[in-house]
Amino acid sequence: MTTFWPIALITFKEGIRNRAIYGIALVALMLFGATALIATMVPREVGKVAVDMALSTISFAGLLIVLFVGINLMAKDLDKRTIYTVLARPISRSQYIIGKFLGMILLITVTMALLSLLAITAIIILKNIHAGYFTRFSWQAIILADGLTVLMLIMLSAISFLFASFTSSSFITLVLTIITYIIGQSLSGVKALLEAPSYEIGFNVSPMTIKLVTAVYYLFPNLSLFDIKLQAAHALPISPSFVLWTVLYGIVYIVLSITLAAIIFRRKEFP
Amino acid sequence: MITINGISKEFKEGITGKRVRALEGLELEIKKGEVFGFLGPNGAGKSTAIKILMNLIFPNSGTAQIGGRDVRDSEARRVVGYLPENPYFYDYLTTDELLWFGGRTAGMDSNSIRDRSDILINQVNLQSARKRPLRTYSKGMVQRAGLAMALIHDPEVVILDEPMSGLDPIGRKMVGDLLIELKGQGKTVFFSSHILNDIERFSDRAGIIIGGRLKRVDTLQNLLSGGKNLEDVFMREVALAEGVTAV
Ligand SMILES: Nc1ncnc2c1ncn2[C@@H]1O[C@H](COP(=O)(O)OP(=O)(O)O)[C@@H](O)[C@H]1O
Ligand SMILES: [Mg+2]
Repeated sequence: MTTFWPIALITFKEGIRNRAIYGIALVALMLFGATALIATMVPREVGKVAVDMALSTISFAGLLIVLFVGINLMAKDLDKRTIYTVLARPISRSQYIIGKFLGMILLITVTMALLSLLAITAIIILKNIHAGYFTRFSWQAIILADGLTVLMLIMLSAISFLFASFTSSSFITLVLTIITYIIGQSLSGVKALLEAPSYEIGFNVSPMTIKLVTAVYYLFPNLSLFDIKLQAAHALPISPSFVLWTVLYGIVYIVLSITLAAIIFRRKEFP
Repeated sequence: MITINGISKEFKEGITGKRVRALEGLELEIKKGEVFGFLGPNGAGKSTAIKILMNLIFPNSGTAQIGGRDVRDSEARRVVGYLPENPYFYDYLTTDELLWFGGRTAGMDSNSIRDRSDILINQVNLQSARKRPLRTYSKGMVQRAGLAMALIHDPEVVILDEPMSGLDPIGRKMVGDLLIELKGQGKTVFFSSHILNDIERFSDRAGIIIGGRLKRVDTLQNLLSGGKNLEDVFMREVALAEGVTAV
């Protein structure tokens, strides 16, 4: 911990003071305002719409933080060679990666906690105004959905670390991370579609394609698993075993990505 | 204290993959308490050698040790203070925070970090800027913050890559005073420069490197024997390296 903590702390400080954070916070505030406005336009559904929009805003703002603040933190280290500051110390490459990632976790957790506080405030205000339309409503489901979103963002950040370890430019890291996010969000849908009987979807899928999609399915992170916003909005029951397996899946994916990133980093040169 | 055994390094350049020989069979031994000046024109391979010592890049062949430890072992850097060429630090951190980081990773406690920071910040003259983010600093100020960072843990070995570059005359004098002080404390100093005067004034021993090859290593006294000045010695080596007969 004596080596990880200083790296994590300077990473967090460098991230939280980044101007982009204020911009993202402003966007989030505007979206929360819009939530209140739109929710009141559909009085009967105000509860569902409010919860869905508030959670979507949190995860959108979090995505911006991972993509533009998180990747930039790593990018600056590599492109502008601020990494020399760290590697000139008695710190190994693996310790650098782990410390840096712990700083990212801290940054994501703190910013997401603040955003969640705003979201909860918005929901409480709407709930007090339109008490009658919040009949099917569960704080527990909302907190759970929020927590899984945070885990998904940490996972995406871990994957961006992996990309940063072998690409030569931070722009490529950004593009690869965005592609991973998009694929990760739509993976379940594509797989279900291809596996459906051909008379249902109206065309034949070659076995080769199915194999390819299955391979991609297991290689790419299945980020859609972590999206239970709809269940939360409708206060549907969420099975504890689903949550448990999803959390476990996320942790395993994170540990594997960071381990691989650390191994690749050990051989990386910083000329 | 610093040993370099037959190090060679090749870079692949750009998309063509053309090979550039940055170092060829570099041999150097720097003794404890010595101030060693590494002199060479731009592109001679000075920074390459220093980055290999800091394990930032890896040699194609050869090994290097600091304080008896192979440089690939991160513990070797516990006794080392390093100032990179044109250093760049975190934009939103202050010098105080940077020094806290340096001290902590070297295992210092908060009190000794504070005491040592006060001394160093006075020495590099950043008193009024120490609580300001580094992005508001001028190039010279960043360089001075970097010097304080290199020295925060009172290292036995100090490696400085072009410590005077980008500094005004006052800054150069400050670095000079620091070098003399480090020497007085018995520290081992390895610094590179392409400026003859800096090498002549501050080093006990110097090495002249041209085109990746070490041309001469000797005490300053011997290099300058017979009333020569360092410029003559250096230009002669440059001429020889270019295959031109010296005048
Ligand atoms: N990352 C790199 N890629 C390709 N060539 C490099 C790289 N870094 C240095 N070189 C080449 O290696 C040689 C030595 O460079 P360097 O060690 O920076 O010289 P110095 O510090 O003495 O000015 C130069 O020819 C330079 O062009
Ligand atoms: Mg150089």
